[in-house]
Amino acid sequence: MSNTLWLVLSLIAGIISVVAAFTYFKWVLKQDPGSERAKRVAGWIRDGARSYLKKLYGALGMLAGGLAIIIAIVFGLQKDFGYGLTMAITFIFGALCSTIAGYMGMTVAVEANVRSATAANKGLNPAFNVAFKAGAVMGLAMVGLALMGMSIVFLITGDANLVLGFSFGASTLALLAKAGGGIYTKTADIAADLVGKVEVGIPEDDPRNPAVVADNVGDNVGDVAGMGADIFDSYVASSVAAMLLGAALTKLSPDQRTLYTIFPLILSMLGAFASLIGVQFVQVKEGGKPGTSLNNGTIYTCIIFGVMVIAVVLLADIDRAVLWATLAGLIVGVIIGFTSDFFTGDDRPPVVETARVSTSGAAINIITGFSYGLISIAPSVVGIAAATLIAYFLADQSSIVNGVYGVGIAAVGMLSISGMIVSSDAYGPIVDNARGIAEMAGMPENVIEVADVMDAAGNTAKAITKGFAISAAALTVLALFSAYSSEIALAVEELGLQAIDMTMSLANPIVIAAILLGALTPPLFSALTMLSVTHNAFDMIEEIRRQFRADPGILAGTVEPDYVKCVSLASQDALKALVLPALLAVVLPLVVGFILGPEALGAFLGGAIVTGILFALLMANAGGTWDNAKKYIESGFFGGKGSDAHKAGVVGDTVGDPFKDTAGPSLNTLITVMSLVSSLFAPIIAAFHLFG
Amino acid sequence: MGIHLYLSMIPEALIASMLTPEEFGVYYAVGSEKKSHGQAIFFELDPDFRHPELPIDEGFRRCVPHEDGRPKNSIYITVYRALERVALDAIRHLYLVTQDGRVLGLEGTSLNIPDDTGGLHLYQEIAPVNPLIVSTLGAKAFYNLIVKNPTSLLTLPAVCFAELRLGELASNPEYGSVGDLPYANIDHLRQCLSDLRSKTVNTKMVDRLSSPAFPYRMLKSGVFVGNTEKLMFFPLPSQEELRTRHYRWWRSANM
Repeated sequence: MSNTLWLVLSLIAGIISVVAAFTYFKWVLKQDPGSERAKRVAGWIRDGARSYLKKLYGALGMLAGGLAIIIAIVFGLQKDFGYGLTMAITFIFGALCSTIAGYMGMTVAVEANVRSATAANKGLNPAFNVAFKAGAVMGLAMVGLALMGMSIVFLITGDANLVLGFSFGASTLALLAKAGGGIYTKTADIAADLVGKVEVGIPEDDPRNPAVVADNVGDNVGDVAGMGADIFDSYVASSVAAMLLGAALTKLSPDQRTLYTIFPLILSMLGAFASLIGVQFVQVKEGGKPGTSLNNGTIYTCIIFGVMVIAVVLLADIDRAVLWATLAGLIVGVIIGFTSDFFTGDDRPPVVETARVSTSGAAINIITGFSYGLISIAPSVVGIAAATLIAYFLADQSSIVNGVYGVGIAAVGMLSISGMIVSSDAYGPIVDNARGIAEMAGMPENVIEVADVMDAAGNTAKAITKGFAISAAALTVLALFSAYSSEIALAVEELGLQAIDMTMSLANPIVIAAILLGALTPPLFSALTMLSVTHNAFDMIEEIRRQFRADPGILAGTVEPDYVKCVSLASQDALKALVLPALLAVVLPLVVGFILGPEALGAFLGGAIVTGILFALLMANAGGTWDNAKKYIESGFFGGKGSDAHKAGVVGDTVGDPFKDTAGPSLNTLITVMSLVSSLFAPIIAAFHLFG
Repeated sequence: MGIHLYLSMIPEALIASMLTPEEFGVYYAVGSEKKSHGQAIFFELDPDFRHPELPIDEGFRRCVPHEDGRPKNSIYITVYRALERVALDAIRHLYLVTQDGRVLGLEGTSLNIPDDTGGLHLYQEIAPVNPLIVSTLGAKAFYNLIVKNPTSLLTLPAVCFAELRLGELASNPEYGSVGDLPYANIDHLRQCLSDLRSKTVNTKMVDRLSSPAFPYRMLKSGVFVGNTEKLMFFPLPSQEELRTRHYRWWRSANM
């Protein structure tokens, strides 16, 4: 089969995925949106989410426009004007595709939440169907748009470097969407809980709480649009890294080299088809377990994907080494995803122990949860190391590809079933919102019960996705790290520069300094985003208190609070808070590269990757452990609700909120963006740098 | 607008109000501009009830709408020794109000009063004093001990109390699982319960200054109120009934 045909097939797979997403979208819209009250509540959430995204995308549009001009000028000067312009266009195209995927996902989520709540009146099966199909819109749209975008760029240009521009556009948007969404969602969540639950004593999702709509909006902008953009970014970045490594296989014939350059797209295409089939398996019967159905969907998708890859590799006579690398990535990805559930799942020893020690107070709860978060790093890191080594050595045995290409393919293998993973993940915030709407709209008890059952499964899916996303990003950046080195080597060769030493010896003080600077970046980024949450939550707490003070009718339930005020407060504060972290991600690698040189930038990336992965895993899992320890106590252990243990659990959960939903999940995007910036600007840094 | 007469237990007070019991519960729990708020327990009394020591008529006279037509929320008639002066026959309903103003009304009875004599018991006295007590006595015998037939110098002219759940500790204070018992200083509670078994006393004080605003989910059977004349019982509906028929209250009470 010709390479062009493979590319066309990838494009078609992308189109089919997007069409399937649209079909599900239309199906969801046809479902009953419920009573007037339910529609009104859902309308508040929808308007709040749209208003935030409008502001976010407006700001990002300006940023993307500015960056595109810089890219056009810099690459225009480096090569020629046409190349610079094309790079800028692919950058904008990447940002646009990521925007569309996020917007589609969020649009369907804010329509599906009320429909799922309304369907819950008929039972678990119809309610689950609405929520999962809406989640599948996000999953399939994301995969489809990414595949279409990458295929189109490569079909037109035939240059993997220009697909890198596409990826950089997607990543820049993802970083800001994820971090902004994370700041927004936790600002609203913490403020709503601290005033609502602790000070005033009103339950979760109570319509009297002025921040309740902002809290529900946060679920959408953080967990749907943000997480979708995050996985879109990893998905594209992993493919691009492997494509760049494929393009660097200079010993191969042009045709063969193109085949291995586009092989990541072939894998993504197979993953898209597997996900399309896999989502059909996700069904739950009345009285069944939604979590099991979601997990089954993931397992079936993996099996289908594995079979497809074996068939394609054998039939198309592709080197077997890439098959093993793909399977290594896929299997390790799934294992890591499910092992992260061990540290955060209800009834699991770490959660039970953290709940138990809560009887001794908040300090012990925090120390224990934090310690389990640290331990949780071990299996994932061992898994990443294993996948890296297995993929490397199996691929290195081949006479066609090399070890680093195998690592890149392992990352693609891990992310190839993203369609299914994101579908399960996006289901979480939809059912969370459905529960909130059911509560706010005064729906009957049976609806709340069904919503509770669905919500519990959503939390598990979320924990698995986080582990998966972080591990996949880790492999991706390892591949990008290799891609960066090969980009430098290529630039030296193409531009006829003096040879650049990329051994990154620890005996070199510049390398040591760069590693330390790189290692510093993820903690600094985490601190900035978490401080934004506390600062913004402080403002919102004051606003909620002000509203309660100004009109006692709000608490009495006779006067509706000003939801819009809290929503707009969360929006504007989240956007303001993004400036510094964004600059850190984009500017710092360039500063290091241009001043300390390409080798130092490689070391800088190495340092950032190591602490980024560790911090991301620690924060996501420690936060999950604290969250579920609180829930475990609430389910009737160690004193239950209102006990001293519960109070300690609430403190731990509040500490963990920005850990698991703001800083932690943004770190994988941070290291991806930094790696992409470095790879993209590698030729220019190779030509212009002060030291090194 | 009619005038209602309420006997509050947290704090003990007799109050005239133009609000219905549900409205009064919200007002009392959530507060007004004065910012007083919190869990509330009160009885609705027959508005015709009178007592020579209680200036009820004067309270009613002052209980007039505001100038803008809004009903008067509350006129405090007395803030101490109210319970002992109220005839239990004047009580209509008991209202349990959560801290965010969800109101549950309970019917009282002086007939089928439960008297669970097995195991150990935990009583939260709500008014006029608020100790937390463990006892070997069932509710009826406990009431008799502190109101009708005291064996010590301690006696109360009337009492409002609730029996709280002890779970496994009722039968196995030393090793029973704490489960969802939210009580502070659980080791001390275990010790007090163990002492009841080893010593020849029927009651033991766990906490002298226990807050009368206990978690409603811990109510074992309901709320008791008694004076030297009689004992009344206000049973809490079953968990199932609370979930299905009083979901808002149940959810708020389970926070």
